[in-house]
Amino acid sequence: MAQARTHTRSDGQGARIGSAARVRGRIHGDGDLLVEGQVEGDLAIRGDLTIAEGGSVTSKAVEAQSVTIGGTLEGDVSATGPVRLVAGAKVRGNLRGSAVAIDEGARFSGQLDCEFDLPPELGGASRNDGRDGRGRPATRR
Amino acid sequence: MASTVIGAGITIEGEVTTDEDVVVAGTLRGKLTAKEGVTIEHGATVEADVAGASLVVAGSLTGNVTAAERVDLQQGSRVIGNVKAARVTIADGAQFKGNVDMDV
Repeated sequence: MAQARTHTRSDGQGARIGSAARVRGRIHGDGDLLVEGQVEGDLAIRGDLTIAEGGSVTSKAVEAQSVTIGGTLEGDVSATGPVRLVAGAKVRGNLRGSAVAIDEGARFSGQLDCEFDLPPELGGASRNDGRDGRGRPATRR
Repeated sequence: MASTVIGAGITIEGEVTTDEDVVVAGTLRGKLTAKEGVTIEHGATVEADVAGASLVVAGSLTGNVTAAERVDLQQGSRVIGNVKAARVTIADGAQFKGNVDMDV
C-alpha cells in the first residue's frame, strides 16, 4: 500500500507556510501565521505574524496584531501590537505598531511610525514653545 | 505537523505551491500544487484545482484533482469536480459529483 496519505492535522486556528511552500495571493482571517517559505501578496490577519529566518514576504500591505520578522519583508506593516525585527531580518518598508523594536543584526530601510509621547525637549508635551509649533518629528510623514 | 497548514480561520485567495505536504482546515480559493500529500480537513472549503502525490478529503472541494498516487474521499466530504488518480476510494457517506479517471 502506498502510504503517502497524510495523517497530520492542523492544530487549531493558526496557519503555517512551510519552507518549501510559495503562496501568491491574499491571505486573511483569524489566527496566527508563521511564514517559513515565500509569500507574495497582501496579508491581513487577526493574529500574530511571524516571518521566520529564511521566510520572505513581498506585499503592499501587511496587517496583523504583533509582527516578528527574522526573514525578509518588502512592504508596509501596520500592526495593532508591537513590531520586532530580530537579528538577520531584512526589511524594506514602513513600520507602524504600538512599539517597534529593531535588534542588532537586523537591516531596515523605511519609516517608523509608532505612538508614544515625546519628551518635552523634543517638542512633544510643550509644543507651544517650539519655533514653528508643528513638530512631532518622530512621527511626521 | 505538516509543512504547510492553512488553519480554520484563515483564507488564502491565490496560488499555493509547495514541494512538501499541505493541510487545509480553512478556506483556499485558487490553485493548490503539492509534491506530497494534501489533506482537506472536515470543515475546510477548497475552491481550487488540486495536484499532489495523494489527496485525502474530509471537507468540501470544488475543482479538478490530479494525484500521482491516490485520492480518498472520506465520509462527510463533498466533492464537485473530476478526479484523476490511479487509486481512488469514495467512502460511504461521501458526496461526489464528477468524473473519475483511473487510467493514469
